[in-house]
Amino acid sequence: MRTILVAAGLSVGMALNAAETARYESQPGGGKMRIDGTATVKEWTVECAAIGGFIEADADFPGGTGKPKVEINIPVRQIKSGNKDMDAVMHDAMKQQAHPRIQFRMTELKAKGVATGGKGEFDATGTLMVAGVTRTNTMPVTIERVSSTKLKVTGTATVKMTDFGIKPPSPDIPGGGIIKTGDDVKMTFEWTPEVEKP
Amino acid sequence: MQHSNAGDFSRRDFIRGGSMAALLGLAGAVELRAAAPKNAEGKELTGPKVKVGVIGLGPQGRDIISTLQLNPTAEIAAVCDHYPVRLRRSATNCPGAKATDDYKTIIADKEVKAVIVATPSHLHRHIAIEALQAGKHVYCEAPMASTIEDVKAMAVAAREAVGQVFQPGLSLRADPQRHFLLQFVRSNAAGRTVAMRAQWHKKQSWRQPAGDPEREKELNWRLDSRISPGLAGEIGIHQMDMMTWLIKERPKAVTGFGGVMHWQDGRDVADTAQFVIEYPGGAQGIFECTLANSFDGEYEMLYGDLAAIMLRGNKAWMFKEVDSPLLGWEVYARRDVFYKEAGIALVMNATKLVAQGDNPVEDAPFANTPLSFALEAFLNNVNDVGSAVEDARDTFGTDDKRKLAKHLATLKLAPAATWKEGLEAAVVAIKANEALTSGRRVTFEKGWFELA
Repeated sequence: MRTILVAAGLSVGMALNAAETARYESQPGGGKMRIDGTATVKEWTVECAAIGGFIEADADFPGGTGKPKVEINIPVRQIKSGNKDMDAVMHDAMKQQAHPRIQFRMTELKAKGVATGGKGEFDATGTLMVAGVTRTNTMPVTIERVSSTKLKVTGTATVKMTDFGIKPPSPDIPGGGIIKTGDDVKMTFEWTPEVEKP
Repeated sequence: MQHSNAGDFSRRDFIRGGSMAALLGLAGAVELRAAAPKNAEGKELTGPKVKVGVIGLGPQGRDIISTLQLNPTAEIAAVCDHYPVRLRRSATNCPGAKATDDYKTIIADKEVKAVIVATPSHLHRHIAIEALQAGKHVYCEAPMASTIEDVKAMAVAAREAVGQVFQPGLSLRADPQRHFLLQFVRSNAAGRTVAMRAQWHKKQSWRQPAGDPEREKELNWRLDSRISPGLAGEIGIHQMDMMTWLIKERPKAVTGFGGVMHWQDGRDVADTAQFVIEYPGGAQGIFECTLANSFDGEYEMLYGDLAAIMLRGNKAWMFKEVDSPLLGWEVYARRDVFYKEAGIALVMNATKLVAQGDNPVEDAPFANTPLSFALEAFLNNVNDVGSAVEDARDTFGTDDKRKLAKHLATLKLAPAATWKEGLEAAVVAIKANEALTSGRRVTFEKGWFELA
């Protein structure tokens, strides 16, 4: 009798652990974003290693039926090309002073199949705010459980600058002439938030 | 580079354009610089200015001020020297800057973000460390200090100042022409390095006159063997560091020769010297320096078994051996003749210059000085590191130094010397001077280069 009661207690405990929500926070060195675009002179790329935000999800995630909460923010002035002049033009076009961060808040995560081996493919829908303009955006993401305290999220999103009120810059770069940039840009990111160690 | 002399200032600049900015400033001219980019509304996009305090207003400090005044990112907020004549002179040239004879005033000023230390070398330590501990970014002229103990103390302070820029004044490390050249060396275009040579020739006294004996002793610290790092520290450090950088090996020993050959005015610091620096791979670097003759000025040579490379000012040439393989690009390169040798000009952005209709021969894109590149890198890095620290705190919600250091390691900063290169270069220069003054070959000890 006692054994049955203990076993029942353990089962309830395990069920509680499965439902328990953990908060996975951004860590320095735990994320990178790349934006690729086109221009009259050549294609361009900018990168950022400062990805902030969190995921609140249960221990089954990316499996299970829980509804995770996801927020991501990226400081615009840390998005850089390696060319100071290009960065100045880009940050100005993105209205960095008034809107210092790109923000994404997930509203829906739709699984594309069943997550296996701790890895799943999804369509993540949410509000994306750039340069003060907010649009609903859906992007394919892969979410993987790296360990009990670490997740890995990778994804790609293609957006148009004009969708966010950004006129594709055509800067007059000293020594380079006038450069016209294309409207379409591809954002690729990799992010590994972790549960903070006590 | 601390090889200027107040009385020789304008001649030095005329001969080698050592500080074009200062020369143009003296002549009342305005140097034409590349304009900042503009946005769609035609507004110039310039980054935030960095408020700088300059401590030490001798020839090098004044050179730094003249160079900063041509940089749109710099705002000279304060100047400091305990010699009233120098302080008045620089205050007049920097309207709007606070003038003080006490460096602690600048360090305590919260408006000042960055401090430039251009005092005599033996006085760098406490000023630089106090500035770092007060949260300032610091540019400290090379050598960092005159003793290994002082250099190490400064390196420790710089290492612990996470989120702050510490840049020693090894200006060649920020020179784009040197970085461009490094590609040829690293790609083995010159083959195995068998020897290196550098020279610095300029006839000048170093002695500065003063009204009273005490002031004269203070002004002529470079001629006092008890505190001066000599020609090795005050001049050779840059080119010896260049050799170490090119060959990518830490020297194993150094021998020095020299003495007072011309300026027989009671000094005991050599005015002419030669140093032989031995590297573990077998190659040796020879550095020669004299204050007694100006012929052939300043240059560096790297001798490889496939080619020799010569650097003069902001130009470089490659002299190939007859048995070295053809490099595809050399077919299109310009050749310049030096006596009996033809050197392939190694010009940065040559293709771009031709496309723009500019002449790569006459329109060398880097007419600026290593000092201007070094200060530009410092100011840009101050802004980049400063904004990265602020954004990291907001993004990751932490002030943890270890985490901050991890994030800062992802930044791509403008190339410039760090405390590590400053420490290495200073140790080599200090020991080279010791080799000269003692007459003994000095073998480098690992511990001199390492911090606790």
